[in-house]
Amino acid sequence: MSKRIVIDPVTRIEGHAKISIYLDDAGQVTDAEFHVVEFRGFEKFCEGRPFSEMPGITQRICGICPVSHMLASANAGDALMAVSIPPAADKLRRLVNLGQIIQSHALSFFHLSAPDFLLGWETPVAQRNVFGLIQSNTDLARAGIRLRQFGQEIIEVLGGKKIHPAWAVPGGVRSGLSEEGRAKIRAWLPESYATARIALDLFKKTLETHQRELEVFGNFSSLFMGLVTPDGSWEHHGGKLRFTSSEGALVADQLDPQRYAEFIGESVQGGSYLKSPYYTPLGFPKGIYRVGPLARLNICERMGVPQGDVELANFKSLGKGAVTASFLYHYARLVELLSAIEFVERYLDDPELSTGPLRADAGINSLRGVGVSEAPRGTLFHDYTVDPDGLLQKVNLIVATGQNNLAMNQTVAQIARSYIHGQEITEPVLNRIEHGIRCYDPCLSCSTHAVGQMPLRVRLIAPDGAVVNEVARG
Amino acid sequence: MAARGDGIEGRLPAYEFVMKEPHLLIIGYGNTLRSDDGVGPRLVEAVGTLRLPRVRTLLCQQLSPEHSGLVSLAGAVIFVDAAVDAPHTVQLRELTPGPTTQLFAHAADPRTLLAFARDVFGHAPRAWWLTIPAVNLAFGEQLSPETEAGYQEALAHIKMLADEFGQVNSPAELAAHHF
Repeated sequence: MSKRIVIDPVTRIEGHAKISIYLDDAGQVTDAEFHVVEFRGFEKFCEGRPFSEMPGITQRICGICPVSHMLASANAGDALMAVSIPPAADKLRRLVNLGQIIQSHALSFFHLSAPDFLLGWETPVAQRNVFGLIQSNTDLARAGIRLRQFGQEIIEVLGGKKIHPAWAVPGGVRSGLSEEGRAKIRAWLPESYATARIALDLFKKTLETHQRELEVFGNFSSLFMGLVTPDGSWEHHGGKLRFTSSEGALVADQLDPQRYAEFIGESVQGGSYLKSPYYTPLGFPKGIYRVGPLARLNICERMGVPQGDVELANFKSLGKGAVTASFLYHYARLVELLSAIEFVERYLDDPELSTGPLRADAGINSLRGVGVSEAPRGTLFHDYTVDPDGLLQKVNLIVATGQNNLAMNQTVAQIARSYIHGQEITEPVLNRIEHGIRCYDPCLSCSTHAVGQMPLRVRLIAPDGAVVNEVARG
Repeated sequence: MAARGDGIEGRLPAYEFVMKEPHLLIIGYGNTLRSDDGVGPRLVEAVGTLRLPRVRTLLCQQLSPEHSGLVSLAGAVIFVDAAVDAPHTVQLRELTPGPTTQLFAHAADPRTLLAFARDVFGHAPRAWWLTIPAVNLAFGEQLSPETEAGYQEALAHIKMLADEFGQVNSPAELAAHHF
């Protein structure tokens, strides 16, 4: 009798999800699916609101990446006003986004993912978490917490508070960088560099004993997408879009994000509130693409900072053409983290961040505007259509985790096929499957813009729909 | 786990807990766009404007690990949050560090944060959990009448604790004081 095995909830990710694994009569995996069971509805209830409120409203989609939504929303507002914001404002937005990348990547590595590959898949679940990490190496856990705190400090220095800073607005930003804030951030640099370097060395050491994970944790061909600078360097805010292939070939380049709908389609699948974007010239599902750290490093030719460029070269050496192993999202995350610290240091030497105009002022000059920014998890789009008074008529949000949805499905299926062969499903096997999702560091609150939580269950379902087994978690 | 010979031994940043100036840290957490869920941050924001001596305030949407460092440096801490559980009254409960719940969930437990402060940063201060009954969690920025009444009662509790804290002059006195 065929079976479906469900992991529900998936732990140590932001938000709520479940995984369904389908077995045939011989106990072999036939398919797997990643479901998101949250529904948020921000796209609907924002209709009728003034576009100027959106940076504040959309931040509340998520308590982990509010800065990303604030920036993409402010960019969309810039487009509606048809303004170019002052250079100082652009740099300040970039600085806060670097803080966001630092805090998010530190959280992902030290708290959400590292317990698995540092403590081991066989470690009991009660210990395979950040508390287990604290017990095993308190100094490392503390360094990780403080590294995240550094990113949060940058956000607070600029925005006034760590979460939901009402700071980036259509046309620019509300305030510059004070000298006190500049000194405060600079004081964190030595420790942050040290922790980032340690994390990189630790992960490189981890790879020596995790070759199978490299091979089967989401290692498949796909496109990669993200923002790049005009000369093809790593970009995290502004810039144009680039698609590359698993062979490392350029598929499309310098695409205008305002016209994203011409090359990105969205597919809705049953059983999940998560939409599945794809590259339309190749159709669905051939147009699967990945976003986020792995993609950003694959599509760029250089990071643009010394230590980052060295680590980028090390990273790229692990792939033929592109790096296709999703397990290496962790590595890419750490390369970005180190590079972000270098970029922060560079901005601290720029006096323009404390002087000069910070806002461009204009009314509605376009009835549709698209804002894009690289959130830590990947490219984020805010697409607003307004009436002549600036009231929202339509909102479309494409978030990073949604763009990785098809990739996460493939990752789950690949891991399940590698470890489930008609035998008993053990806890370490289930954890490997969950970890495949964690590689993408999904933010499910964002991806479905949900309004609430649902009770979550583990269900084993026969082909005729009968529930064979059911376990509740959480 | 990272073992000797991994090359990280001795490279991790050094850290030593030092209590510089005992202060009362008041943390208000919740979503200010979800009506009564925002009562914690709103209350603590108001406390901040009072500029009470030796009191520091922190507003956030949810508790997270990096707050543990700030908590560890406090002489005492009050966590202020909305509560939907019975009983439907303002409750002030003294806390001790506890294991184990997720620290990123919307229902994060401050006892977990205290455990982080103790285990990672070397000190868990005396702590209280001040919860205010929440009735309406729909989208909005207004407090319900019930929660507004709880807000006022909770503010009185905070003022009382802050006043008592101001009379304590050393960590030893703080540890022994019966609030």
